[in-house]
Amino acid sequence: MNKILLFIISILFSFNALAVTNVTFWHMEGVPHRVDRIQTLIDEFNSANPDINVTQEVQNWGEIYAKAPASVAAGTAPEILVGIPDFTPILAEMGAAQPVEDFVAELDSKYGFYQKALDQYTYNGHTWAVPLWNMALSVWYRKSDFEKAGISPPKTWSDLKKAAKTLTKDGVYGIGLPGNKQLYTDQTIYSFMVNSGAEEIYNSDGTLRFDNPETVAAYDVYKELYQYSAPDAANWTWGEAEACFASKGCAMILQFTVISTYDSQAGGDADDLGVIQIPYANGKAHRAGTVSYVNSAMIMTEDPAKMEASKKFLSYLMEPGNYGRFINMEPGLFLPITEAGSKDSTYWDDPVVVKYKSQVETMLDNSTRGSLFGFTNGNTFTSISSISAQNLLAQTLQLTLIDGKSPSDAVTEGMEIMSEAIE
Amino acid sequence: MIKETYLKYIFLTLSIIIILIIFFFPFFWIITSSFKSPEEIIATSTTIIPRSFTLEHYEKILFNSDFFTYLINSLIVSFFSMFISIILSVSAAYGLHKLKFYGNKFVEYSLLVTYAFPGVILLIPIYLLFAKIYLLNTYIALIIVNVLFATPFAVWMLKAFFKLIPTEIEEAAYIDGASRIIVIFKIIIPLAAPGIASIAIFCFIISWTEYLFASILISTDSLKTLPVGLSAIVGQYQIDWGFLLSGAVLASLPVILLFLFIGKYFVSGLTEGAVK
Amino acid sequence: MKKNNIEGWLFVSPLLIWISLIIIIPIYIAFELSFFNVKIIGTSGKFIGIDNYFKLIKSTKFINASINSFYWIIGNAICQTFFAFTIALTINYRFPGKKIMANWIILSFIIPTVVVVVIWKLMLSSSSGIVNSLLINLGILDNATGFFSTPNKAFVSLVLINSWRWSPFLALIILSGLNSINREIYDASKVDGANFIQQFIHITIPNLKNVLFVLGLVGTLLSFNIFDIIWLITKGGPSNATTTLPLLIYETAFTKFRISQAATLSIITSFLLLIFSLFFIKFMAPKEND
Repeated sequence: MNKILLFIISILFSFNALAVTNVTFWHMEGVPHRVDRIQTLIDEFNSANPDINVTQEVQNWGEIYAKAPASVAAGTAPEILVGIPDFTPILAEMGAAQPVEDFVAELDSKYGFYQKALDQYTYNGHTWAVPLWNMALSVWYRKSDFEKAGISPPKTWSDLKKAAKTLTKDGVYGIGLPGNKQLYTDQTIYSFMVNSGAEEIYNSDGTLRFDNPETVAAYDVYKELYQYSAPDAANWTWGEAEACFASKGCAMILQFTVISTYDSQAGGDADDLGVIQIPYANGKAHRAGTVSYVNSAMIMTEDPAKMEASKKFLSYLMEPGNYGRFINMEPGLFLPITEAGSKDSTYWDDPVVVKYKSQVETMLDNSTRGSLFGFTNGNTFTSISSISAQNLLAQTLQLTLIDGKSPSDAVTEGMEIMSEAIE
Repeated sequence: MIKETYLKYIFLTLSIIIILIIFFFPFFWIITSSFKSPEEIIATSTTIIPRSFTLEHYEKILFNSDFFTYLINSLIVSFFSMFISIILSVSAAYGLHKLKFYGNKFVEYSLLVTYAFPGVILLIPIYLLFAKIYLLNTYIALIIVNVLFATPFAVWMLKAFFKLIPTEIEEAAYIDGASRIIVIFKIIIPLAAPGIASIAIFCFIISWTEYLFASILISTDSLKTLPVGLSAIVGQYQIDWGFLLSGAVLASLPVILLFLFIGKYFVSGLTEGAVK
Repeated sequence: MKKNNIEGWLFVSPLLIWISLIIIIPIYIAFELSFFNVKIIGTSGKFIGIDNYFKLIKSTKFINASINSFYWIIGNAICQTFFAFTIALTINYRFPGKKIMANWIILSFIIPTVVVVVIWKLMLSSSSGIVNSLLINLGILDNATGFFSTPNKAFVSLVLINSWRWSPFLALIILSGLNSINREIYDASKVDGANFIQQFIHITIPNLKNVLFVLGLVGTLLSFNIFDIIWLITKGGPSNATTTLPLLIYETAFTKFRISQAATLSIITSFLLLIFSLFFIKFMAPKEND
């Protein structure tokens, strides 16, 4: 009798010990080799932590803006959601994304986040997500093209205009710039705005300061450069620009990276691939910067056990030794966001990174000077989501590129559209 | 008279050429391109006849992605959507066009007017509704929606076939003491078979190509359908055209195979069955 | 013919119940939302009565999208009618390879929309697309053109792509109608000296009125509803030139995060389509002799 009782008790205890906390991890990196890499890390984590079971579910960027709020409303949201800065304010406002400043501070003391990394997730008195990796636009070109044309890589806007003009010749577009009403265009136009001193979209009181001479200057130079771009650039996203560069149809493009496409589809001569930071407006060298996107993880559960498990998993990903492998799910695209991460040998050991080491170093260097519209110098307001989700920077650009308005009229009208959007 | 035949001949040849170029050439080009090397696909000098040949894109998609999982999901969803659509539409078409009842014109038109509610409108309410009854992330969710989109038109497509069945045959059967069920299974269904084959394929295609709802109602990888799976494996920041093209070809292949075997019933069912 | 009221309803009811449940509940949810000012789905809002309706009907976005939708329907109707009749009349003749063409013309309809998008994005690309290089080689174009670069070009390109997808299916439906026309009528008219075009107008079209009525109704509603092709190719651009009402609804809900306004737009849109359908049925429905 006692034995049976003991047996039952031991079973009950073993069940207790086996009580597993499930964590669902949503991300949008659906390319098969990225999914595989994340799965490897998850498997390692799960076997080291038998009480936690992490599963990944891949979503599409195309529908996530509809799906994530709907899943929160329906109570089917994941515990962890990877996202970009535009998206976090929505989920923070819904009360879905949990404040994580303590956790981030803990990670910061261990690994040292780059200073600008947290700007994109800190507002309303909290930090709303854990930065995972960075991405920043740079200018990509072929060194041999520049040598043949007898010009040196551009530093200022007038250098850039000259280069675009010189490199435009039969069947080659001097510079590939998008004109689509899409995120990519938001990014390219903002990278010009940063470099002319129009980094800030908001005043400190939450009103807009978009309509200013620096912004107009950026739209103006963009319009001028656009004439050297491909005719279907009005419908481009990242992929088309990259293909244009890889096929030598475009001499220069603004892109996060071209490395993997260049390597697999364009011969892959590492010595010939040039990368520089986005040129700045004449006389504004001190403004030199770029647009950067810090991708992050939001924790979306209030359940203490699940939250603990989620933090444990994220800490695991951020740990040097795992971190390099994690962001090298796409080598040469995702950049380290922490000091420790950028020294992680598992990052620099990847064959692709080894081959394109000098380019990756330049990208990383550029990324530390990156900022993002609406998330600058603490002047951040959640209404920025409406501006970025609707791609209003790009829409404003279309007013001048496609509808033919003057840059200053377009910017004025753009600010009206933005004011209406943030009401 | 001779002049007219001659003119007709020119018109015919011309339209055959136009149809070949517009409706067949794209497939030729896409299929051949999917075997080209990555460099050749994005080259600025476009080729019609490939200069290179590689299977790398197919290898990549078949061995490095969950293609087969997506394929099986799509087959399951499409098959059951088709099956349920057939039962519901044959039953409804029989009621509408063989039995006649008070209000049948109204029902017939109402069914067609269902298409007045755009899918975009139904998307989020359906998501919330399905979440409440635990249908998210299930095949059933997609089947329910696919049936909704396929049946109204399917019922109309059946109309012509049902009208062709002479009432005398049915009446003779009733006089012989056959029950309604026997009449349906022994007379109506066999005689309307070409029509049923057509709507079967129609419903299958509607389910096979559905994207919007499948992308929102399913979040687990293991339950994704082909169109959704295919667009997920394309990265946001890069386009691997070869990968995408071979994926496109592979995603179309199953319906094409299906069509190879039963396509002629679809077309002849549609086009010849209705001869009065 | 005698009517079987109870049995008739019994046979239709499974389908009717299925459809009404899946349509009425969501429409009710949308209707309710349209009187509030909810921004993000799942959050709460204030009851504001019919303010949304007043505001949106006057808004330029709604008016522009309605105009785009109108052109979209007209453009698709013209293109699809043209293509569908060309295909149907061609296949109706005997020529070598006719069987193969008839069986496989449907190809563009049976492939997933995502594939349609891939095909045409690559075909129409200005750097590596076949269409540009063919047009240049034929001397029609001097330089590669961007098929989605201006509002008009983008709109026309999308209409053509969508017609490419749907025309073959419509052609087969028309073909079924053509086959049901008694050949003797044509022969008789030939004896009377009617030419090909007269035959088409006086025999073919009137005999197809049943088919054309349904294609006119369902075709209009379906092409109005097209969302994925436009969204995946142009996202409604450039300069909102291809933002039709379904795109505006999706954008309002999911990029602007104004779910109540999106619900209002949905209700207005459904209402307009219902009115259209009622008129279409009232004035265009063929009188049947049974």
